[in-house]
Amino acid sequence: MNLINLSIILFFIMDSFGNISSYLTLTKDLAPARQRYIIFREMLIALAVMLLLFFIGSYLCSFLTLSQASLKLSAGLILFLHSIKILFPEPTNLRSNLPRGEPFIFPLAVPLIASPALMASILLFSNIRPYRSIILGAILCAWLASVLILYFSRTIYKLIGSNGLRASERLLGMVLVIIAVQFFLDGILTFWTNYQLAKL
Amino acid sequence: MSIFTLALTFFIVTNPVGNSPAIISLIKNYPIKDQQRILFRESIFSLLIALFFLFLGETLETRLAIQDYALGISGGILLIVIALKMIFSVFDEPVDGKPKEEPFIVPIASPLISGAGLLTMIMLYSKQENNNLNIFFALLLAWIGITAVLVSAPYLQVILGKRGMAALEQFMGMVLTLIGVEMILKGSALFLNILMQN
Repeated sequence: MNLINLSIILFFIMDSFGNISSYLTLTKDLAPARQRYIIFREMLIALAVMLLLFFIGSYLCSFLTLSQASLKLSAGLILFLHSIKILFPEPTNLRSNLPRGEPFIFPLAVPLIASPALMASILLFSNIRPYRSIILGAILCAWLASVLILYFSRTIYKLIGSNGLRASERLLGMVLVIIAVQFFLDGILTFWTNYQLAKL
Repeated sequence: MSIFTLALTFFIVTNPVGNSPAIISLIKNYPIKDQQRILFRESIFSLLIALFFLFLGETLETRLAIQDYALGISGGILLIVIALKMIFSVFDEPVDGKPKEEPFIVPIASPLISGAGLLTMIMLYSKQENNNLNIFFALLLAWIGITAVLVSAPYLQVILGKRGMAALEQFMGMVLTLIGVEMILKGSALFLNILMQN
């Protein structure tokens, strides 16, 4: 549980590389200055959502009486389904049916950047008591990296082309599947350990 | 181990001969020239993935807190998802004349060629050998063989014909499910060991 590891995990879950193509199609008709403004606005909204979840996380979980094991299991499940959609794009999902017009909150801030998978992971991390400042730092680091990637998205697109983008989207999707499975198995492990402790 | 032994091991783990019917039935709707182009591209991608794992796999695993069993289980699940699509989507011929999106990285380059088996093998050897250059050349050597098998695989379609390929797709969907379940079971065995220690 150190800062770099957590930031990398959160950065992967934010999937900013995968969002480049959606972002480019959403903003292609707008003036460059307006595009930059939109990135910062949407990213700030996404950050606000993340921080809100981080701070109310433990209250929410005690209010709903959620255990750490169920958080891990469900975060793994959501992330898994999310990454399966990235790996096997279907004509009915959001990425191929982006709404027209300028993005405001939907779909760029939520759910493309602050996706349900990211929200669930932040809920999960916010409940790990002794590491709160590290986790807060990790959220900020991962967020900053995503801002940079989206800010330079046009340069990245010119550099690696649409095939390169597709390739990195797929590769990151595969990493996401592995992270999801790891979350899920960790959840089973936590559940089992608690179960054994309760039996004693 | 010598480079040749390593290369042979990699070739056998990748199992290009056994996998090629499944791979061909995934791309059976394309003309042979396109199939060869796709397969060549995918084999390059799989080599890149393997090299990436050789040099950065350990860092990635510790950074993301990923265990070996998660690698195997997620590869198995991906294979099962693909296999179910192969078995239960016989009639999804392109309706509006637009061909379906061609497979890109998933599932051919990974997890079929550079699957969990090969990736864990690479990590294992790179821990044992302390000499990544040996493994690097062994991988290159193995890849020459794998690419040769894959690029010549589309001629299978010429022998079997269109109806034969449709039948083969069903059979290979079943085989892929079996491979996927096997990968999941292997990963689960590792995971259960850890579970029982608690």
